[in-house]
Parts: sequence; C-alpha cells; structure tokens
Amino acid sequence: MKEYKNKLIIATVILIQAFVILAGRMWYMQILKGNEYEKFSRDNRVRITRFPAPRGRILDRRGRELVINRSSFDVYILPNDVKDVDSISNSLSNTLEIDAGEIKKKISEAFEANRFIPTPIAKDINRDQLAYIEARKISLQGVFIQVNHTREYPYREIGAPFIGYLGRASKEDISRHPNLARDALVGKDGVERSADEYLVGDDGYTQTITDAHGREVKWRLLQKDLRSQDSVPGADVVLSIDIDLQKSAEESLGERAGAVVAVDVRTGELLALVSHPTFNPEDFIDSMDSRKWNKLMSSSKSPLLNRATQGLYAPGSVFKIVTASAALNEGVINSHSRFYCPGSYRIGNRTFRCWKKGGHGLLNLHQAIVQSCDVYFYRVAEKLGISRFAKYIRGFGFGAPTGIALNERAGIAPSKEWKLDKLKKPWYVGETIITSIGQGYLSVSPLQVALMTASIANGGTLLRPQIVKKVTSPDGEVLLNLSPQQNGRIPVNEEAINVIMKALKGVVNDPGGTGWASRLDNIEVAGKTGTAQVVALNTISDKISHKDHAWFTSYAPADNPEIAVTVIVEHGGGGGAVAAPVVKRILETYFRLKEEGNV
Amino acid sequence: MMMFDRRLLMNYGWALFILIFTFSVIGLVNLYSASFQSEHYVFKKQLVWVTLGLIGMILLSFLDFKTIKRYTTHIYTITIIVLIMTLLFGKEVAGSKSWISFGHLISIQPSEFAKLAIIIALAKFYDNDFEPGPYGIRDLVKPILIVAIPIALVMLQPDLGTAFLIILISGSIVFFMGIRFKSLILLFIVIIGVSFSGWHFLFKDYQKQRIATFIDSSQDPLGSGYNAIQSQIAVGSGKVLGKGFKAGSQTQLRFIPAQKTDFIFSVLAEEWGFIGGITTLVIYFLIILWILDTASRSKEKFTMLTCFGIAAMYFWHIVINVGMVIGILPVTGVPMLLLSYGGSSTIASLLGIGIVLGIRMRRTPLVKDALDLA
Repeated sequence: MKEYKNKLIIATVILIQAFVILAGRMWYMQILKGNEYEKFSRDNRVRITRFPAPRGRILDRRGRELVINRSSFDVYILPNDVKDVDSISNSLSNTLEIDAGEIKKKISEAFEANRFIPTPIAKDINRDQLAYIEARKISLQGVFIQVNHTREYPYREIGAPFIGYLGRASKEDISRHPNLARDALVGKDGVERSADEYLVGDDGYTQTITDAHGREVKWRLLQKDLRSQDSVPGADVVLSIDIDLQKSAEESLGERAGAVVAVDVRTGELLALVSHPTFNPEDFIDSMDSRKWNKLMSSSKSPLLNRATQGLYAPGSVFKIVTASAALNEGVINSHSRFYCPGSYRIGNRTFRCWKKGGHGLLNLHQAIVQSCDVYFYRVAEKLGISRFAKYIRGFGFGAPTGIALNERAGIAPSKEWKLDKLKKPWYVGETIITSIGQGYLSVSPLQVALMTASIANGGTLLRPQIVKKVTSPDGEVLLNLSPQQNGRIPVNEEAINVIMKALKGVVNDPGGTGWASRLDNIEVAGKTGTAQVVALNTISDKISHKDHAWFTSYAPADNPEIAVTVIVEHGGGGGAVAAPVVKRILETYFRLKEEGNV
Repeated sequence: MMMFDRRLLMNYGWALFILIFTFSVIGLVNLYSASFQSEHYVFKKQLVWVTLGLIGMILLSFLDFKTIKRYTTHIYTITIIVLIMTLLFGKEVAGSKSWISFGHLISIQPSEFAKLAIIIALAKFYDNDFEPGPYGIRDLVKPILIVAIPIALVMLQPDLGTAFLIILISGSIVFFMGIRFKSLILLFIVIIGVSFSGWHFLFKDYQKQRIATFIDSSQDPLGSGYNAIQSQIAVGSGKVLGKGFKAGSQTQLRFIPAQKTDFIFSVLAEEWGFIGGITTLVIYFLIILWILDTASRSKEKFTMLTCFGIAAMYFWHIVINVGMVIGILPVTGVPMLLLSYGGSSTIASLLGIGIVLGIRMRRTPLVKDALDLA
C-alpha cells in the first residue's frame, strides 16, 4: 500500500491549492471589491422615484411673468415591468403617433442600460392621449404617466433673444449638475442659460426597496439607509427689462431685420433688447423636430443670432461721437476749430467724399456733428493719427466684451498693432480717415454703441450692462441683488463731454439736424444718426445691393439723461429717415410709462 | 454483521463525526434563512433528511466494510436497474426525468446514490486486480464499462451536472491508480467520438438546448448568466462580516434564483461574509482531508479507493459549486453537498461519510479478523 502514499500526498496538495484559489477569489470579491459589489447590490434593490422641481420663473422689472411653468403629462416606461413589448409599442404608437419601431428601440435600449430606471417615451401629451393610456393601465403594464413641469412663454417671440431657450441636458450639463434627471431640460441660450444655476431646482426623490420582481418591499431591516427629499423649486430671476417698453420696441422695429437696445444711462440696466427676426422659445421644448431646427439654423436671416449683442456692424456716422471726443480731449481741435468742406477731401492720390456732394462749406465742430459732415472728421482724424485715435476707440469699450450675461461678440477696434498682428500689413493714413466716420475695419455691436452713448449721457461712466436685476427664492427672499457695475470711465474730460452733448442735442433739435425725426413733443432728445455703407447680397434678385444699414443712437432727456436708445435697421437706408422714427416711438413709450408711474 | 466491540468505539472517527454534524447544522441554519419567508416546508423537510442521513451514516459506520465489499456487485446492479426505472417511470422536473416519486411528498434522485455505487464498484475492480499500474486501455475495459453505463443512463434523463460529476469522480480514481499516456489519449478520442454521435442521434432538441446552456451559459443571458451575476453580487456585497442572518438583500429579495439549491453558498457568503464563507470552506476541506487521511491509513486497496472516491466526490462538488457561485466556473446544476436543499444528495453524502467512518474504525484489523486470516 506504500506506493499510494505519495499519490495521496499529491492529492492533498491539489486539495490545498483548490482551497487557496477559492479562498483567494473570495478575498478578492468580499474584501478587495466588497464596496463595489455592495453598490451593485444596493442599485439592485433601491428604486428611486423623482419629483421634478419646477424651474424658477423669469420676471420683468415690474414682476410680470415672462417665463412660467405649467404641468405636462409625460409618458414613461419602466423596462422591468414591461410584459409585452410589441403590444405596448403598437398601442402607444397609435395614440402618440410615434413610430412603433422607435418605441421598441427605446424600450430595449432602456432595458439594457438599467431595467429599473424609467425612460421617457413622449412629453406633454394631450388630454385624449392621457385618457387613452390611463384607460389601458392593465394592458399597458410598464407604462406610466408622470406629471412634470414644462416651460411656458406667454409673450412668445417677444424678448426671445435674451430669454433664450431650453434643450436636453448634454453630458457636460449633467457632469456640472450631477442631480439632473436624464431627460432634464437646461438653459441653452439667453438668461435661461446664464442664470441656469439659479433657475434650476433640486429634484425631490424617494427611495423604495423592491425585490427581484420589481415589487415594493416594506421591510424595516433593509430600509434603514433609505433617503427621501422634497423637491426645491428653482429661484425666480427678475430682469431689468420692462416688457411694455420691450413690446413697444419690437413693434417699432416691426418686420424689419435689426436690433434695438434701450439702457438706463445711470445704472446700465437694460430696459429693452430687441433682435429681429427671432424665434419662439416654446418650439425648443418638446424636442424640436429636425425640420424646424434645420429651418432655424439654415435661415439666411439667422433668427437665433442675437443681433443686439452678437450682430457686428460698421457703426457709420454714430462713431463721430468717438472721433470728436478723442480730438477734443487730445487738444487736436477745440469747440471753435473750423474746417472747410468742399464735398470731398484728397489725401495723396485718394479722394474721400462727403455724403453731401456739394459740400457743407466752412463749419465748426458743433455744426459738423449736427450736419454729420464727413470731411470735417477726415481732417480731424488726419491730425489725430491712428495711435492716439485707437486708444479712444478702446476707451469707449469697442473691441472688448461688455460683460453682459448673454452671448456677445467683441467686434474689432482697429489699430496699427491690430492690423499688423491680424492682417500682417502696415497701416495706411486712408484707413484712419475712414475709421473717423465709422467705416473700414471697425465692427461693433448695437449694445456697444448704446453703452458708448450712455457714457456720454452720464458724464463719462462706461457701464457694465445688466439684464438680471435680482434673484429671489420661491418664498420671496432676495438671494442675489445685483448692483450697477462699471467697466471704468471713458478717457474724455468733462468739458469735451459737454461740447459733444450740446452737439448731440443739436442733431435732433437744430434746424437742418439729421436726427430731426426723433423729436418728442415735450422732452428734448439728443442723438446721432448713422448710415453704414454695406455690400450685401440681395437674396431675392441675386444682385448685390447697396442699401445701407440705418443707425440712430440717442438719449433723453437731453439735459438730464435717463435712457439711451440705439437702433439699427439692416439695409434700412438713411439713419435719420429710417432709424430715428423708431427711436422716437420707443422714447414716447418710455416717457408715457414714466408718467404713469410705471418705470 | 454488526459488531459492537468497545475497541470500535475507541477507534471511532469522532473528529469527522463532529465536523459533519457541525456542517449539517450550518447547512440547516443557512437553508432556513434562504427559505423561511415563503417556503417553511423546505426547512422542515431538510431537517428530516439530515436526521435520516445522520442516522443512516451512524448505522452504516457500524457495518463491516467487508459486507459492502461482498455485495458490491449487487449494489451496482440494483443501481443500474433503478436508473433504468427512473428513465421509464420517472417524474419530469424542469425538463429532466431524474426523480422517482413516492406520492407527492417524497421523490428520490437515484443518480445521487449512483455515485456511491460507482465508487465502490471501481474500488472492487482495482482491489481484485493484482497487477500494479499504470494500466493500459485493455486493462480498463471493465472499469470504463462500469462507469459508462450509469453515465449514459444519467445523460438520457438528461442530468448533465450529475453525469459530469460521475466522470470527474471516476476519472479521479482511474487517474489515481495510473493510466498509460497512450491509453489516456485514446480514451479522450473515444469520449469525444461518443459525445458527437450521441449529440446527433440520441438527443432531442430540448435536450441539446439544455446541454448547450450547460456548456456555454452566455447563450442564455437572462437565465444562468443573470444568475451568475446576481450570485457574485451577493457574495461580494457580503464583505468581511456579512449582512447578517436573514438580512442578505440579494437573498431575501430573491435576486438569486435557485438560492435553496445550486446557489446556496452565495446565501451563506452574503449573510455571513468572508469570515463565515471561509469558515465553512475550511470545515469542508478538513472533512476531505480527514477522508484522505483515512485512505492513507488503509491496509487494502478497496478501503483506500473507496475513501479516495468519496473524498473526490466531496472535492468536485465543492470546487464546481463554489467556483460557479464566485464566478470562476460556468453555471452548472451541481449542488453543494450538505448545504443545498435536497434529500437524495444529503442522504447519499452522509451515507458516504458513514462508509468512511466504518473503514476508519476498522483500520487496525481486529483480533478476530486476524484469526480468520489464519
């Protein structure tokens, strides 16, 4: 029997090895990876039911609701409870008018991802659809309705460019707010986006224990670490916008493409911000169909572009305010300096024309601004030189973001260095000349022009524009009160500002002034017209059109300014004829509202 | 036949007896937790089986193994007849005709007892043979037949798990006794050939499906693949100390299918943690070591091989079952002896221990036997 002893020893060694392998694997699973498995086991049994928190409202400065919530009946499927995928898909397909194959695909994807997490099938169904589904609770096992909140925009297109819109949360959004539901909507543009952190609420939830068959188990032993939480609604955001003034501004601009900015010159609060054409924010909510989206994206009129903050234009003659300020402050001219305008000015072998072919004759600065003489400013700019000039262009805030809490573009403040850096070419004197009348490389947003105007009107403060005034909690507590802020001062002395202000008053009120069309009956207005030369493709005739952009920037009352209004009408023609009447109507509304005690 | 000699009691394997008794208690406690919610009869029935098994074990330990040896052929023949009867009159449960039922309360699974019969038959074969190994294929015709007949009968039920275990147990014995390398290769070729022809001519489609799932559980992802994942989650989430008696969420919320039978070890590992799982495994391995020790003290081939075969039976059951539960082996229908719910496997494994105890007790030939020899 001895010969088998060794074999039995080998058998014992194999036995011990097997034990070590099994014990080692248990060590790995229970001690090294125990916490991970514990999480899996928790996910297995803990089912989370969410109560979506309503998003905060967006109100105008007088508390009127621009964006609110209403209930939306949404259809969900809990994959684990689904018994018959085909019959559910067909049944839902009939009533919801969604392709049955698409529903099937959603169910199977959700089943693979996590069969205990509900997946949305359709949002905001109507009453008939709701009745259909509720009546078939038995045969539609696994389908349930959840009441969610959806956005409602009572003013529709009005204010859309700054209100913005919502969209399905992206991966980045979810990584920023880990508590967001999978199908959550987050702000994608406008205040909906910039104030998203205040608007978004905290979803509530309850956790329940369910067994392997999805049945709820009320077993105290396993419920000790369950949590639940009420939903916390998002905070309300109060804007500086006055919706009455906004409406009036939109009506004044009418169907024409362009932008309006109305700003309080004392605080920088935006009172109206118009960009036309625009969109209806409600179209974005129920996952916009691709046809609508493509139409919005591909439209040559770019309705999603906020022209007031992102539209970049040549400022035209409204820029003469900057040229004049620079020249006065640098002492290149004083208020008495005169130049003769023969209708054109020649530098080297190039001739620069005045808009008035016959010329303005001999005029001083005041007359040059009132009549918007080009030659006067050619002469001034030639003396000033681009290096000194560029300092003032930037000093008025051009070429830099204004700091508004909306998407904006900085535009271009040209200078020698800029041209060398970007275009790798030297600067020519002729370019200084055309910059003086707001042409050439200059590109500015209507908001920048409005702030430039306000900085003259308030005596030199370059304001930081404000659209969100404050944030209040659902029970009325003020969470955030934004005080007016500045972007510094314009580098212009008080005397020079006074000269400019007098001239701007003359533009509207002097006989022969270009801004005559913006005069009000009882309040003095000050302003400056502009006509920016553009080359644009006429989409209808396919011909290049030369219809200029019409600018008018203004403030009122002229001697004690409160509000600045800037208007641009794309391809509108002359600023005095086209843009100034728009400004007039807006100012009328403003002062009427003020009289009613409403501003 | 029964000999109540005082020396027998002195030589009795008390250590093994205590280990087995402890293990049976662990098994009952664990099974209670796995079934108390809805199926009280499970615990009660198992309590009856364990009690009967322990009584049978004690009685069998006092039976002289020479008697067993003498009646080996009878035992084997009866086993084969019962297996054939199972195929003819058996009760079909979950697609397999593996049970013979006596009323609706009791049904036995003859294939569990067949393992013991095959072990004894093989031991008897080698005991008769005086040539030392390694053995060639011609020497092995008889043992192959001894094993192949019951395997074929079990395969036809079909009960792949049991058939596979019979192959492993008898293979261990044949390998232990030595086999020529060439013969080993030839044996493999024959097994593969038989499997192929069996696959094409013998099995019905549903049987093929069961075999396919047995071999590759990923073919049935929501069935045994799901079981495997849930079982591993149960084991892993037990961590060091476990979730406590009757407090395993995977177990109590029914995430582990077959938790009373094949996946019973995951219940233990979840509720008692690494400490409880390892303690159980240690007891199990000590039992096997003790049986091997008995084998090594044997004075004759029959007792040594019988012990070795029973050790192999315990070994393969635990390795395949625990390996499946902790996710290193595929999902197969192999119960964990003395932990899984089931009368036949419980009683058969306890009877196996009874045989070992009897052999241990008589490891020193008694005076009377010595006289017989003289």
